Amino acid sequence: MGDAGKMDRFERAVLCHLDAAYNLARWLTRDEAGAEDAVQEACLRAFRFFEGQHGPSPKAWFMTVVRNACLDWLKEHRARAVEEEFDEEQHGAGLGGHEQPEVAAERAADARWLNECVAALPREYREVLVLRELEGLSYKEISAVVGVPMGTVMSRIARGRDLLQQRLLEARRRKRS
Amino acid sequence: MNCARLRQVLDAWIDGELDHATSAEIGSHLDSCAACAALRRERNELRAQVRNGAQYHRAPAAFESALRRRLVAAADAGKGPRQRPSWLQAASLALAAALVSALAGYWIGGPAPDSTLREHVVASHVASLGNARHLTEVASGDRHTVKPWFQGKVDFAPTVRDLSEHGYVLQGGRLDHVADRQAAAIVYRVRNHVINLFVWRASGGDEALATSAARGFNLATWSEAGLGFAAVSDVDVRDIERFARLVQSGP
Repeated sequence: MGDAGKMDRFERAVLCHLDAAYNLARWLTRDEAGAEDAVQEACLRAFRFFEGQHGPSPKAWFMTVVRNACLDWLKEHRARAVEEEFDEEQHGAGLGGHEQPEVAAERAADARWLNECVAALPREYREVLVLRELEGLSYKEISAVVGVPMGTVMSRIARGRDLLQQRLLEARRRKRS
Repeated sequence: MNCARLRQVLDAWIDGELDHATSAEIGSHLDSCAACAALRRERNELRAQVRNGAQYHRAPAAFESALRRRLVAAADAGKGPRQRPSWLQAASLALAAALVSALAGYWIGGPAPDSTLREHVVASHVASLGNARHLTEVASGDRHTVKPWFQGKVDFAPTVRDLSEHGYVLQGGRLDHVADRQAAAIVYRVRNHVINLFVWRASGGDEALATSAARGFNLATWSEAGLGFAAVSDVDVRDIERFARLVQSGP
């Protein structure tokens, strides 16, 4: 049964990246139910089109399918799709309220702040940073997933890190004052 | 290379995406320019912060099992009255079969390995992580270097495979013990996680691959052809199972 081998490959090449798929979807949709919807849809599509897949790696190909499912989900849920401007007041106050002398509490607040800052990045920067830093994809793979040239990947990663660094610095400054 | 140009390519350089010539230029600029060197330090700190601090959202177990059921249903639906190419029918059936057996594997988990053995394996794994110098006595990514190193040190030939194309990078090997038996430990790395593959002379018959967990580590154990195998790491159970299957079948 040659097809059994093919299905085994589907399990190995696609489903073994389920955590990566969910992680990307969670960061893109910023919504638990949204991530589940998008990943499920992506898996069904991946199963249908698995035969004809091309690209730098099975993981990158699956991430492309997941990203497209996320963009569809965001389109359907337009209210959430609007890139919310980062709410300095709300988040700033939240952080202040959690400031405590204990190192552990401070570290927890730092981690929370970092996650909020990443989540608040415009999607085009957020997605390349998640793919690069959390999934370890190469620029070539990211370029295939996002569908932009390598040069654009390069500048988006640089700009994304600039933005993130600025926001984290602002947080540190606010904490000191 | 001037500062403005460096700042355009610094991130790509940090990510290892630039060619040798440009990388060399960047290296010499960073050696002589304190401002750019400080920028690079900041960037490295930021990257470490994101990698360690940004949440990695794993697929919830309940979601995964529901998803697998849904995939089986979708594969079944493909067998309906609508005319489909026969290969797709066969593929759907095979997928259903593959998923059902995978699910059975997850639920039943196979025979539970001896919990004492498991404890010994985890103890050896933890001990090996405590001292970076002890992790490998022969440090090499080349299996033709690692495998011969065990000759004359153990009375069997351990399986050493190159699985780098699957993300499991060979680091080397060392002599170790599992319980009171001498074992060959083959060390791999996947992302930032160490996997120890212990191989020893086993007296019992063959045993199918089974996964288990102990003290927060995941294990895959099996025996074949008179050798016992245990792969142990803090990676996800799926990763360790995939690794074990690759060791069994070759890349």
